[in-house]
Amino acid sequence: MGHSDGFGLQQATDSGTRSSKPAVAVWGDMSKLPATIEAPMESGSNQERTNGADATAAEVPGGGDIYHRIGQLTRTLHDALRELGYHETLADARSNLPDARDRLAYIARLTGDAAERVLNSVDRARSVQDEMSGRAQGLQTRWAAVAAYTAKGERATPAGEALVADTCAFLDALGKQATQTNEILTEIMMAQDFHDLTGQVIRKVVELAQTLEDQLLKLLIEAHPVETRKSAESGKLEGPVVNAEGRSDVVTDQAGVDDLLASLGF
Amino acid sequence: MTSDPRFLIVDDFSTMRRIVRNLLKEIGFNNAEEAEDGVVALNLLKSSKFDFVVSDINMPNMDGFALLKSVRADESLKGIPFLMVTAEAKKEDIVNAAQNGANGYIVKPFTKATLEEKVQKILQKHG
Repeated sequence: MGHSDGFGLQQATDSGTRSSKPAVAVWGDMSKLPATIEAPMESGSNQERTNGADATAAEVPGGGDIYHRIGQLTRTLHDALRELGYHETLADARSNLPDARDRLAYIARLTGDAAERVLNSVDRARSVQDEMSGRAQGLQTRWAAVAAYTAKGERATPAGEALVADTCAFLDALGKQATQTNEILTEIMMAQDFHDLTGQVIRKVVELAQTLEDQLLKLLIEAHPVETRKSAESGKLEGPVVNAEGRSDVVTDQAGVDDLLASLGF
Repeated sequence: MTSDPRFLIVDDFSTMRRIVRNLLKEIGFNNAEEAEDGVVALNLLKSSKFDFVVSDINMPNMDGFALLKSVRADESLKGIPFLMVTAEAKKEDIVNAAQNGANGYIVKPFTKATLEEKVQKILQKHG
């Protein structure tokens, strides 16, 4: 295992079980970067890797000096980054990633707390609403009896009859409005699912930031682009689809789910 | 199936568990318990009787697919209706869920009507 340098990179070491060539896969002091670079060997048997490297070199026309060319490219890239002042920027970016993760975690925590507060408020409002609705229903029954009584043989003044009728109508409307209010409260509650959806995205971005932090400069001199692509694909972020446009491997709504399942006979 | 089926809601986000629980209550199902991942859910399922599982997919420790497979592989649990409620909208996941024995699949965000429709449909089938 190597040690961390100023960039937080792992200095590759020659463990003896790896290639006998000087291990210079990952660099701390980029000013010492040689013109030629050896492919890093992260895992797998030496023989397999060596064979793989040979095979790759054999398949690429003039591939015998592929690592030499990669080394030159790396040197060019390093020089360009240094001239442009980007290698400091890169180091800054890496050092800022933990802060970015903390900020994202902070957002996730705050939005979660906010969602919980809204749900608590919805529960309280629903409780108040249910109590009011129940009392209104009880009063409505009693006022309906009063209305039936006053309707017989002018037992109330016209103003009294009108008051009874208005009260009955109000209590009836109150019940209907309680239903509407409950539907609105349900909508408010459902809107809090943003916390789950955004939380999943944030969690994946935090994981990605962690990976980036570990791999940022290492990727610059990665000598196996094919493996790198495979690795990137296998680490593809899961979770809510934030942009389904142009994608055929995802569904965009519940109807899509139902259609797919129906086509499969479910 | 009892007239008041007992639900197990499995999701690592407490907000979503609460939303599903409240929606089930509004639909008329008051009997529900919660679990934050597949491991907790499986322990609850083995230690207590449940009639319906509503589960997310992406969860730590044990995800929804692993939970589904464990449930279907367990002789005493394999008949429990299992509804996936998840943000995963990939066709591969939907097919995977169906092939592993899920009885329904809902993508988040969803509506109360969608949940009610799926739950009622599954309950009718499992009479």
